[in-house]
Order: sequence, then C-alpha cells, then structure tokens
Amino acid sequence: MNEQDLERLAQRELQRLPAPRAPHSLLPRVMAAVEAWAARPWYTRAWFTWPVGWQAASVAAVALLVTGAVLVGPHVQAAASSMLAAVQLFAGGVSDAAPVETTANGARILWRTLLEPLATYALVVIVLMFLACAVFGTALNHVVIERAEQR
Amino acid sequence: MTDVQQFEAFVRRYQDMVYGTAVRLLGSPAEAEDAAQTVFLKAFQRYDEVVTSPAAAGWLKTTTRNECLNHLSRYRARWQFFSELTRPEQPDGDYADSLVSPFSHARDLEQAELRDDLERALRGLPDHQRVPLVLFHFEELTYQEIADALGASLGKVKTDIHRGREALKRLLPERA
Repeated sequence: MNEQDLERLAQRELQRLPAPRAPHSLLPRVMAAVEAWAARPWYTRAWFTWPVGWQAASVAAVALLVTGAVLVGPHVQAAASSMLAAVQLFAGGVSDAAPVETTANGARILWRTLLEPLATYALVVIVLMFLACAVFGTALNHVVIERAEQR
Repeated sequence: MTDVQQFEAFVRRYQDMVYGTAVRLLGSPAEAEDAAQTVFLKAFQRYDEVVTSPAAAGWLKTTTRNECLNHLSRYRARWQFFSELTRPEQPDGDYADSLVSPFSHARDLEQAELRDDLERALRGLPDHQRVPLVLFHFEELTYQEIADALGASLGKVKTDIHRGREALKRLLPERA
C-alpha cells in the first residue's frame, strides 16, 4: 500500500469514528469555575472596574507617594552625605575618600541645577497624565458596562 | 436571558466539540476535561467577543488546540518529538468507556466494536504520532501548519504521521 492509499484509508476510517461526547460532569464544572471567576473580589479585577471610591483613593495614594518621594528625596540625599562623611571621619580615610566626596558633590550640584527646578513640573505632568488615564479608563469602562447591560 | 444562562446554553452547544478535540489530542479524559474547562473560562472572560460571535466555533477550536498543545509541551515529560517512546500495549479503558457510539443501540454491533477498537488504537499511539495524526485528519491542518504548530520539521511530521497510520493499520488488520 502506497502513501496516498494509506492516507486515504486512515482518513476514511478516522472520519467514521463517532465524536467523543463530553462527560456530564463538564458543564457543572465549567459553570462553577465561571461563577467563581465572576464572584472574585473587586481588588483582583482590572483597576477600571474598581469602585469609584477606591479608584480615587488609589490615585491619591500614588500621588502622595510621588510627592513624598520628591519632597523627601533631597533630605535622604543630605542624610546619605552626612553618613558618608561620618563614616569617612570614623575610618580616618579622609584622603582616600576624596573621590567619593567629589562625586557626591557633583551629584548634589546636578540635582540642584537641573533636576530640582523640573521636579515640580514633572510631578504635575505625571499626576495629570495619571488622572487623564483614570478618567478615560473609567469612561470606557462605563461605556462597555452600559453596552453589556443593554444587550 | 441573563449572561450566565446564555453562557450555559453556549457551553451545552459546544461542549462535545471542545471536549472531543481535547480528548483526542491529549488522549486522557481527565486532562481533556481540565482543558475544556480552561477554554470555556477563557470564552467567558471574552464574553462580548466570543459568545455572541458567529465565529465562536472557530475560536473555540483554535483555543482548544493551542491549550492542548501548550499542556502537552508544558506538563508532560514524555512529550518528546524526537524520541520514540513506547506506550503500554493495553491502554486503560476509561477513555474508550467515555465514548458513546451511535451504533451502541444499533443493529450492527460489530461495526461499533471495530470503531471502538480504532479509537482505542488511536488512543494507544504515542503522543508524537497521535497528535500530528489528529491535527491532520480531524483538525484538517496541512503538514506545514502542523510542523509550525509543533515546532518540528516538516520531514519529522510526515514521518510521524506515516508511522501513526501504519500503526493504526497494523493494530486493526481486518480494517485495512
């Protein structure tokens, strides 16, 4: 029997096989899984589907976090510099630590001249963009939900 | 009709197709049931796109096939396309038991038995022969599409399918 005959034979015989039937347990399993998925807590769902209050709270928390990082950043840097100086003093390695101090001073100057003046604007832009995304997402979500309800 | 009721009707309509595809690809009723559940859950998660779409059957077929191939490559250590693993001569009967033959209540019991034998023979093939064979004869994929789906060479796929057909023919000599 050549390859084509064998293919035809296999095709004919396999196509005659009855389609396997799903077991009776499949439908209840699927529906239970679907119900469990539909009933999952709100915080495990997409952010756009969160309650409005929690959406607002999460936006506020992120804004607070960013603001805090910007405000606290220079203080952290100053504290780090002080600690570095103390370590240098304690170790008595003033001459060895000179390059480190130069780098720290350079970083401080860079921060004050370039980054610090822009930080406020950057923060405002980030917060505005975040809010715009949130508003757009919420609007989109409402449209989707309304469409689903109308169906 | 609520979404859940509509979805239940959707599952009833397509469960045999999804399960049938999965059980032939996986060769295991338990794994096929898991795969079918995963596929239907994915369908529910994309309710608007899938459930009310006229292309739902095609989407379910493709998703089931991908789910089964992922399952085989991810979870089965024995899934080795380039090896010739042997399978037990007598497969366990639970898969064949799950089959409902249209002949079971018909006059021609011999035909029904032969078909059960063929289904058992198909079930008894090693994964690397059964999967491309099922993709070719039931899913109607071309050799090239099967090679792409399995990440195997075209020659390898043709060889495996040929060996699968030969094995079926050997196992059921009276049908050849």
